[in-house]
Amino acid sequence: MARRNDPTHYGLVSRVIHWAMAVLILAMLVLGTKLSHLQPGLANLWLYGLHKTGGFIALTLIVLRLIWHRISPPPGPLGGGWTRQVAIWAHRAIYGLIIAIPLSGWIASSATGLDVMFADTWVVPPIAPVSEAWEHWGFLAHRVLTRTLMAVLVLHVLGAARRAWQGDGTLRRMISG
Amino acid sequence: MFMRNFLALCLILTSAAAMAAPRNYVLQATASNVGFETDFGPDKITGQMPVTQADLSIDFQNIANSKVAVTLDVTGAEASFPFAAQAMKGPKVLDSREFPNITFLSTAVARDGDGATVTGNITIRGVTRPEVLHAVLYRQQGAVAGDLSHLSIRLTGTIARSDFGAIGWNDMVGDQVRLDILAQIQRVE
Ligand code: HEM
Repeated sequence: MARRNDPTHYGLVSRVIHWAMAVLILAMLVLGTKLSHLQPGLANLWLYGLHKTGGFIALTLIVLRLIWHRISPPPGPLGGGWTRQVAIWAHRAIYGLIIAIPLSGWIASSATGLDVMFADTWVVPPIAPVSEAWEHWGFLAHRVLTRTLMAVLVLHVLGAARRAWQGDGTLRRMISG
Repeated sequence: MFMRNFLALCLILTSAAAMAAPRNYVLQATASNVGFETDFGPDKITGQMPVTQADLSIDFQNIANSKVAVTLDVTGAEASFPFAAQAMKGPKVLDSREFPNITFLSTAVARDGDGATVTGNITIRGVTRPEVLHAVLYRQQGAVAGDLSHLSIRLTGTIARSDFGAIGWNDMVGDQVRLDILAQIQRVE
């Protein structure tokens, strides 16, 4: 089993990162949505910390993934025609969103003036000034971007399911190489 | 909670030895504290703020003749969990960098049951407003009856932080802040 990608196959590294991020990001979307409906109290404060820690792990994974793509470029989508174009753009949109989403969360959290913690132990440096405007627009961006990601992910999953249904090997090559 | 510290809780105002003129007292810096409490969702945030200065002039014969001035150190504030202290001292609430002190200056003192009602101006975040605190004087632990050289004063009251523009996190942290100031004071001879 090759670790590296080749022009038609995903290597082990890309596949592991892909599915790890899929699980993590789905969990983050659920947890984030839960947080936005929560009345904060001592009993649930840790969930905010968990969300931030998960977000930083996701951000690290996406950076590693992009670095890996430089070292070992992934294969392009199979097939041709409009579905190929949609797949290419959906993938680009997902990359853009999964970078912008944790960054917007980090910006908005920095702007509150409270320490942003990783794993309840390390203080992550702020990347925005302490400002209500940054906080407001940062969380608004976080919300709009996560909603957009949910929509693009539906498209992404439907596309993958359609190709699996057609049996063109797209889903299989992301699962077993 | 402070009560525990006093073996002989005796009400000075009623038992004070006759003393003609108002006497001046200053803070014994150690062991003086402002306790506060506010609501956080279903829970409470508690904490303390050090008292940096307390100047009192107490007239045991005519309590209305008394004066109280207290200064608190916002930068030294602590709270029951780390985020709360940071939030409280930050720009959205007390803004300790701009406004490192909270002050209280009495304008009127009136006898009220066992203690006194102290009306005065509180300055928080540079905003000054009249507020009313309830004061009780105690003899300090170990002091003999009639010894008024060292006293404890407890001031309690409630303020609305929004009155002072300290509105940060008002969607999750209560507006009402309950104060419990305990200062150990000694007479200036
Ligand atoms: C993959 C990364 C992330 C995903 C998928 C994600 C997802 C979400 C979602 C869906 C929400 C609910 C938005 C709403 O409906 O208002 C949310 C809220 C939130 N996110 Fe994230 N997030 C991520 C990373 C981060 C990071 C890195 C931070 C901070 C360092 C962060 C901080 C927050 C906070 C504080 C909220 C709560 C906002 C509120 O109180 O309403 N997020 N997140």
